[in-house]
Amino acid sequence: MMCSSAIQKLYVMASKPHRLRQWANFQSSAKKARTMATQSSLKGAFSTYADYLNNLNEKRERVVKASRDITSNSKKVIFQVHRISKNNKEEVLEKAHNDLATVMDQYIARLVKELQGSDFWKLRRAYSPGIQEYVEAATLCRFCKSGTLLNLKEMNASLSSLSDPSHEPLQINILDYILGLADLTGELMRLAIGRISDGELEFAEKICKFVREIHRELTLLVPHMDEPHDMKTKMETMLQSVIKIENACFSIHVRGSEYIPLLGSDVPSYSLIGVAEGIDL
Amino acid sequence: MKTTFRSACSTISRSLNPNPPSLSALHGPRSTVVAPLLRSFRSRCTTRAPPFRVLSSVTHCSSAMSGGEAPALPLEKQFEDFRSQLEDSVSLRERIRLVVMEIESTTRLMYSSLLLVYLSRPLPEVLDKAKAHIGTLKDQYSQLAAILRECPDQYYRYHGDWRSETQTAVCHLAFAHYLETGNLLLHNEAGEKLGLNNSQFGLDIEDYLVGVCFMSNELPRYVVNQVTAGDYDCPRKVWKFLTELNAAFRMLNLRNDFLRKKFDGLKYDLRRVEEVYYDVKIRGLASDGDSTGDQDSKKKNDSEVVH
Repeated sequence: MMCSSAIQKLYVMASKPHRLRQWANFQSSAKKARTMATQSSLKGAFSTYADYLNNLNEKRERVVKASRDITSNSKKVIFQVHRISKNNKEEVLEKAHNDLATVMDQYIARLVKELQGSDFWKLRRAYSPGIQEYVEAATLCRFCKSGTLLNLKEMNASLSSLSDPSHEPLQINILDYILGLADLTGELMRLAIGRISDGELEFAEKICKFVREIHRELTLLVPHMDEPHDMKTKMETMLQSVIKIENACFSIHVRGSEYIPLLGSDVPSYSLIGVAEGIDL
Repeated sequence: MKTTFRSACSTISRSLNPNPPSLSALHGPRSTVVAPLLRSFRSRCTTRAPPFRVLSSVTHCSSAMSGGEAPALPLEKQFEDFRSQLEDSVSLRERIRLVVMEIESTTRLMYSSLLLVYLSRPLPEVLDKAKAHIGTLKDQYSQLAAILRECPDQYYRYHGDWRSETQTAVCHLAFAHYLETGNLLLHNEAGEKLGLNNSQFGLDIEDYLVGVCFMSNELPRYVVNQVTAGDYDCPRKVWKFLTELNAAFRMLNLRNDFLRKKFDGLKYDLRRVEEVYYDVKIRGLASDGDSTGDQDSKKKNDSEVVH
């Protein structure tokens, strides 16, 4: 009695049809269980628990797999971006951009159906690493392309194309976005050092400023995160990256004129001279 | 060559460049040095950025996201929004924590009532005292539900904050229920008692199962004390109950998690109860008035053989 009225109520309140169905199924099977004799009612109840756990575990497994695929393919995009050099910028970024789109269409799309309703937060641990890596790759691409930060809103807007109208769009949550940004600094550090040895000093300067600003913004957010401790360790790593870039930029600034012969390039890099003089730290 | 050069300079660089902005500067007007350069890039990209739609976003607990019409938010704006959203979630969490503390103290009171059973107080009295707290618990859970209603679907974001308290609550409820009926309190029954029987704010099954495992930890002590108090039939009943419970748990495919660990502990409770049962039985202390038909008939057979 109570169960059926509860189910009715659930249908009336229906806002998340998918989830409600799950609940209704569960409730009705629980009701079945209760009508049995005492001993088998225990068995009956536990078989519904078993179904619930099996479904949950299978779903979690699928999400973890998707997350792993997202991670490894996003890493590939990041590696692609690191192949950038003075002459091939357009073509390298073009490929990175396409690969990134593939990650979204093929792998992130798999998450949409799995993370409806409360599962979005329930399974966060299962998908969070992949999403963070994706944020890292996407923001890195955007920075290299236009020197700006890819906003969470923009990312989420592009994700909404993944889902058909029957599903809620998958949205990256603030926490994963911020954690992804914190990781971005490490990649930008590598990029900056690479650009310096390639002679692109202006680009390195740009990275340096960008990274400083992100570090500063994130500093304020640390205590408000859901896991402040994890964020703290990330911030320390981040600061190390920032300092590394700053030191590299510093050394160019101080010994800029001596740098050119050290490079030993056969191409006379006039641009370097101009840039080195022009830098204003 | 470059690296030695770099390391030589690095110490100087630190003193020359006491970067990142000091804490006091953080609260002031933002990024004076960085801004101009970035702004130029930003303006370059603004035209290219796709206009974004405002979404019914799962990530936004409060609808505090201001506006959303600008094609691309500046860096600082976005982080300001983040900060206000995260601050909202922090304050929400604080409110949750206050209620959870009350729940914790209620479960503690309930536990202390249940402990009267070891002081050989009559069972109805113990149960009355324990059950008196259920209403309070239900009340407190409805407060929790009210808080969580502000951010639908984020149940599991904050779930960890009341998880262990709920497991304890289930443990005590199930123990009281066992004392009263000799049966296991099922998940939907536990949910009803706590007022956690709806889709938005329900009793998590894993929490329920952990709570049941906690209850089983209580049973060896119960059996030992009951026997000491002269209830020699108790071990058999509890043994039967725990055996069934153990069999039921073995139907579950558990992951290598907390629940699994707790379930692994259940067999030690069963073994301990078995030992007590054995001790009582072998000394002929177990009562003859066994209610199960099986044993009655067996006894009849035995007596016939004697005659």
